[in-house]
Amino acid sequence: MREITHAFKIDRDKCRGKLACMGRCPTQALRVKDGKAEVISELCIDCGNCLKACPSGAISATTHSLKAVWKNKYKVAVPSPVLFSQFPDGISSAQIIEGLKSIGFDAVYILSVENALVNKAIREFVAQWKGPFPLIPPYCPVIVRLIQVAYPGMIGQLLPIEVQRELAGREAKRKYAKMLGISTDEVAAIHVTPCQAKSISIVEPAEGAKSYLDGGIGISDVYNAILTYAQSSKESESKIPEKDIFFSAEMFQGVLRGQRRNLHGFHYIPLTGLRNVIHVFDDVEKGKMRLVDFLECYACWGGCTNGNLTVDNFYVARSKLHRLVTELPEKSPVIEAEVEKRYSSQDFFLKAPLKPRSIKGDMGNLKERIKRIKEAEAILTTLPGLNCGLCGAPSCKALANDIASGEAKKTDCIFFSKDRLDRLRSIYLTNKK
Amino acid sequence: MTVYSEELFKRVFTVYGHNFDTAGETSTEIKSILKGLEIDSDIIRRALVVAFEAEMNVVMYANIGTVSFVITDEAIDIEVADEGPGIPDIEQAMQEGFSTASDEMREKGFGFGMGLPNIKKNSDVLKIESDVGKGTKLLARIRLDSNA
Ligand SMILES: Nc1ncnc2c1ncn2[C@@H]1O[C@H](COP(=O)(O)OP(=O)(O)O)[C@@H](O)[C@H]1O
Ligand SMILES: [Mg+2]
Repeated sequence: MREITHAFKIDRDKCRGKLACMGRCPTQALRVKDGKAEVISELCIDCGNCLKACPSGAISATTHSLKAVWKNKYKVAVPSPVLFSQFPDGISSAQIIEGLKSIGFDAVYILSVENALVNKAIREFVAQWKGPFPLIPPYCPVIVRLIQVAYPGMIGQLLPIEVQRELAGREAKRKYAKMLGISTDEVAAIHVTPCQAKSISIVEPAEGAKSYLDGGIGISDVYNAILTYAQSSKESESKIPEKDIFFSAEMFQGVLRGQRRNLHGFHYIPLTGLRNVIHVFDDVEKGKMRLVDFLECYACWGGCTNGNLTVDNFYVARSKLHRLVTELPEKSPVIEAEVEKRYSSQDFFLKAPLKPRSIKGDMGNLKERIKRIKEAEAILTTLPGLNCGLCGAPSCKALANDIASGEAKKTDCIFFSKDRLDRLRSIYLTNKK
Repeated sequence: MTVYSEELFKRVFTVYGHNFDTAGETSTEIKSILKGLEIDSDIIRRALVVAFEAEMNVVMYANIGTVSFVITDEAIDIEVADEGPGIPDIEQAMQEGFSTASDEMREKGFGFGMGLPNIKKNSDVLKIESDVGKGTKLLARIRLDSNA
């Protein structure tokens, strides 16, 4: 199987095998072998819990070199609306845009129209959808991956409508290629992202198709350069009114209130924070929440404004978004006209259907697979049930499964091997006399 | 000639009536087994809905019951037998929206009268037998080669 690219990586030299990551992983994707954490690639959903949990600073976000991207003739930044909530008072949106250009972008594409287009597409889709309910939008890449890995039965509930940032990437390439008389391949569209997961969704799209975007760069990566630029920039830039940049509040409604307003009249529930999402998904997959039309989920508590690549305090950033929204008209004729023009002629569906992720590859026929789970069940009854993690698996059940599929040995459990205990002593107690 | 399909896996769970604290555990366990077997995701979804609704009916209406979960080389069989009041009119119970659930159950989010209809919708074969005053027996089969 092809190796899946992930958002986080483990530095083996820094890893001290403290097991914290293993306990926090929502899909049990981590094992600690010989004092070093390892990831089971097929199970990782790029949530970043491991990074937050690691006491040794051994887990970091993966970076993808934009070197090749920078070589393109024309480079367009497609910033997440969250970017505009990150800077101190007094720095205007126009200065932020010019700041992006000062880094090397030739243009900045604002995705107001895409927000409006997607809103319209969602409304129409939800209205005609016959089930299964609730529908779940695919905007948070971690949520999509969570469903692919842990709730495969809910895959049919993922809304098949493309994400704003992707549509914006497609449009930006088209627009600037046409304007400059060059091919779309010569225009690079780069998302300025509030989280690592979105960067990864560009490199490794969940539906297996190619992203319209060419790369992602974190808000935290461009923050200082923009700030420095803005603080020394021209007075005139700060005077360009927000409504001439974003046109309508629709630009920020999504990150601020989700689909609440757009789906007025439908049974709508917003849900943020991976732990909360998992709790609710356990009910959804049993068919318990069929009366809910739309369940908008984000892995980060509070939504994208709290992404791991944001800079400003979540609450301060939210208050800035609120202010931006109040300064903008609800609707704008410019956006409406664009929507009118593009809605009937463009395609808004995902590039390919989302499928569950195949976890174990070839596991043999049903009989062989059943034999293996029976074995695992038998092994489990002999294990202590303490879920101490010292075997290197997150639970006794996970160890039993690992043993049955040949990934681990029963003697990895300290109750069955004195050697194992000695080994752990030598790993964890060296230099601690 | 009758061809019997081979039973590959069997698990029997006990479900206690009126106990909402542990309600749903049996179907969660069934899901976890099917997922471990990498069964087709749509079949898992259907089996889970069937198991959950049948389990909940035991919790809501009966005193005690057993869920027997069998995998053969052809199908997933979920058989739920309970000791309880039974269903006087099965045809009526099968209708969408029909429910005798109490207000208290409704407050918990159950009792919309969609359980049995959803079991029917998600299974390939469904048999229900009931003895009023004694109990109810439900057998649902989901074929492994079926596409919903
Ligand atoms: N195991 C059972 N024992 C007794 N009555 C049952 C049982 N299962 C279902 N019923 C009856 O059938 C009705 C319809 O069931 P169902 O379709 O699951 O809807 P709901 O549980 O929401 O009422 C129930 O309200 C109840 O009167
Ligand atoms: Mg019911």
